[in-house]
Amino acid sequence: MIRDAHILVRALREPASVERLDGGQWSELISIARAESLIGSLAHRLADVPVPDRMRAVLQDAIGAHDLARQQALWEADCARRALAGYPGKIVLMKGTAYVAADLAAGVGRSIGDLDIMVARDALPIVESALLDAGWEWVKPDPYDDRYYRDHMHELPPLIHRDRDRMIDVHHTILPLTAGPRPDAQAILDSAIALGNGLYVMAPADMLLHSIAHLFADGDLAGGLRNLWDINLLLRHFSEADEEFWTELDVRAKTHGLGREKERALRLAARLYDTPVYRFSAGQTEFADYLYIRRLLARDGYGRETRKLIRFAFYVRSHWLRMPPLMLARHLWTKWRKGGKPVG
Amino acid sequence: MSDQNFRLSTMTPKYRAGPKDDLIWHELDSMTLLFHRPSGNTHMLADPAPALLEVMDSGLLTAAEIATRLKARFDVESGADTDDIISARLEELAALGLIAREAG
Amino acid sequence: MAEMHQIRLQIGPAAFRIASAWRQPLDQLAALYRDYPGPSDHMVDFTVRLEPDKPWRRYIRPSVHIGGDFWLPDAAPLPLAQGLLAAEMGMNLQMALGWRRHLLLHASSVEKDGRALIMTGLSGSGKSTLSAMLAQKGWRFMGDEFALLDLDTGDIAPFPRLISLKNQAIRAMQTVAPADRFGPEMTDTPKGDIRHLVPPKAAIDRMGEPARPALLLFPRFGHDPELRDMGQAEIFVRLTQASTNYVALGEAGFRALTRFVDQVPTRAMDYQSIEQAEELIERLWSRSP
Repeated sequence: MIRDAHILVRALREPASVERLDGGQWSELISIARAESLIGSLAHRLADVPVPDRMRAVLQDAIGAHDLARQQALWEADCARRALAGYPGKIVLMKGTAYVAADLAAGVGRSIGDLDIMVARDALPIVESALLDAGWEWVKPDPYDDRYYRDHMHELPPLIHRDRDRMIDVHHTILPLTAGPRPDAQAILDSAIALGNGLYVMAPADMLLHSIAHLFADGDLAGGLRNLWDINLLLRHFSEADEEFWTELDVRAKTHGLGREKERALRLAARLYDTPVYRFSAGQTEFADYLYIRRLLARDGYGRETRKLIRFAFYVRSHWLRMPPLMLARHLWTKWRKGGKPVG
Repeated sequence: MSDQNFRLSTMTPKYRAGPKDDLIWHELDSMTLLFHRPSGNTHMLADPAPALLEVMDSGLLTAAEIATRLKARFDVESGADTDDIISARLEELAALGLIAREAG
Repeated sequence: MAEMHQIRLQIGPAAFRIASAWRQPLDQLAALYRDYPGPSDHMVDFTVRLEPDKPWRRYIRPSVHIGGDFWLPDAAPLPLAQGLLAAEMGMNLQMALGWRRHLLLHASSVEKDGRALIMTGLSGSGKSTLSAMLAQKGWRFMGDEFALLDLDTGDIAPFPRLISLKNQAIRAMQTVAPADRFGPEMTDTPKGDIRHLVPPKAAIDRMGEPARPALLLFPRFGHDPELRDMGQAEIFVRLTQASTNYVALGEAGFRALTRFVDQVPTRAMDYQSIEQAEELIERLWSRSP
């Protein structure tokens, strides 16, 4: 039995490595890839290497499923565009939808859940009311959750469309207001790039830094291998397209207060996915890198999460990153009072 | 939320059909099925909605212009409410994303 | 992390790995699936996991959480005594959420002379019991849960997993099927009493053989016997509701389902007893092309 997710990382990095797998290992690889939401990316990566018939069918299913996810994500973005047609400011697509809309390699085979968009903070009320008019509704009527979001988060409480059953998250910056770093949201909007259909995506360095902020600050590193795979593909693409990219990245990281996060992400990507990174952008190796790697790989051949202890350490850590200490206590207390019903 | 001044004007909107290739048509005994490729949605339409789509193209048309085309091509009874019905169906098709709508 | 036990099963075109924290459900599966060939080369399409929802639930009032490659966030755990049911539910879930090589119809199917009869309806319609009964009377059993509609050929592929008998159907089948083909009785499950029945040997031996759909029925139990025509629009809508992956298949699903509705004669069938249903079916079948 495989005890960590190395087999998946190796298959992504070096597709020919799957030729040595036996049947049992193949099944384990597939379970791990599904659990890490990387099955679509894996399927595309293995398109040109010999794969046993049954496994080819499994991978083909994943390609089909992600083709549909891609199409739905674009359609959902277009629905939001139509709903906000009268809003004069920039509507910036984020994460998976942005990668797909901008036709980046990071969008190929990527799983995409909700639609994430970013608008100027002072535009939130009019964007919100336009979405409500167009059929989106609040997911949670709970007043505590609602206040929590509005006071402390970097987004509106999630909205869901009443007919299409799809969620939209409207952000005004790329990190919670309670997190340490304070990214410059206005700078991101100012340099966002028009797609030609009325929507925008972030400029390369901002897009990458958002992906990095998402990896470290949002959640407990869950889905980290997938986020890091995004980072790997974005880095390769942007640095090949523009030799000034590394300089631009360093400057932008400073603007957003994400210098340390950027360095660590570069080191982790280089370590796990062999990403060619500019050495001076990546900083010095730290002992904590090792813990991050162990955490990212914590998945066994049944697809189960392993290393509960290290996961818990990261969970608490992720909450501390997002909220000052007293607020954490308040948050957890309100959660317990509700009988363990998850809030987030 | 009183600030709604950016909202669409509702004066004589115009409508335009999407690319023909976006739709797969299939006739059932009493209804028309449309598979809409960009959204992956299946729509089941009753008359006159399919006829509206048939007379529309990539040009921008008002509801009245579409009604004229409809009457020229199909045996549509001209009643006082015909134009209202057509306007209402066009709004529904636009809400589904099957046609584009632009403020007049 | 605690080791798991595992077993691999092949059912129709799909192969599963069932991993479990406990031996017992896997021993039951092994006994009930003894006639089925295992998947070649240990390769599987899906993994199902049966695990305690909290670590101590492995031993203390053990309760089984159903997980795996595809899962639902709000699936309530089952007591260990219903572990077999949990495994079957887990396999169904993988198919419903993950399978894309056929259009899945929540329907039972049986075959005669290369032609398939498909029965779909809400739970309580009797589609499962009818297929199990017909399988004892000269029809080949193809499945009681999912009919797999081939996207290219339009044929129905068998998916003959264990027949899941509920409540009164258990008694009814015990009068016609051999005793050694029944699984353990599970009482007070979320669906009432459940007992699994191993399909006839022929159904298992021929589980790779598809059949041409020749008749679609919407059975409804508890009404005066009657056969009714249905409009195509109603048939289409009800089949999209009966399909777990129609939307997920996009254009391919649309093409397969519209062709099916165009080509397969369809009736609504009301009945009050198995005998009535068999009579109505025989009458329709002898006239169908």
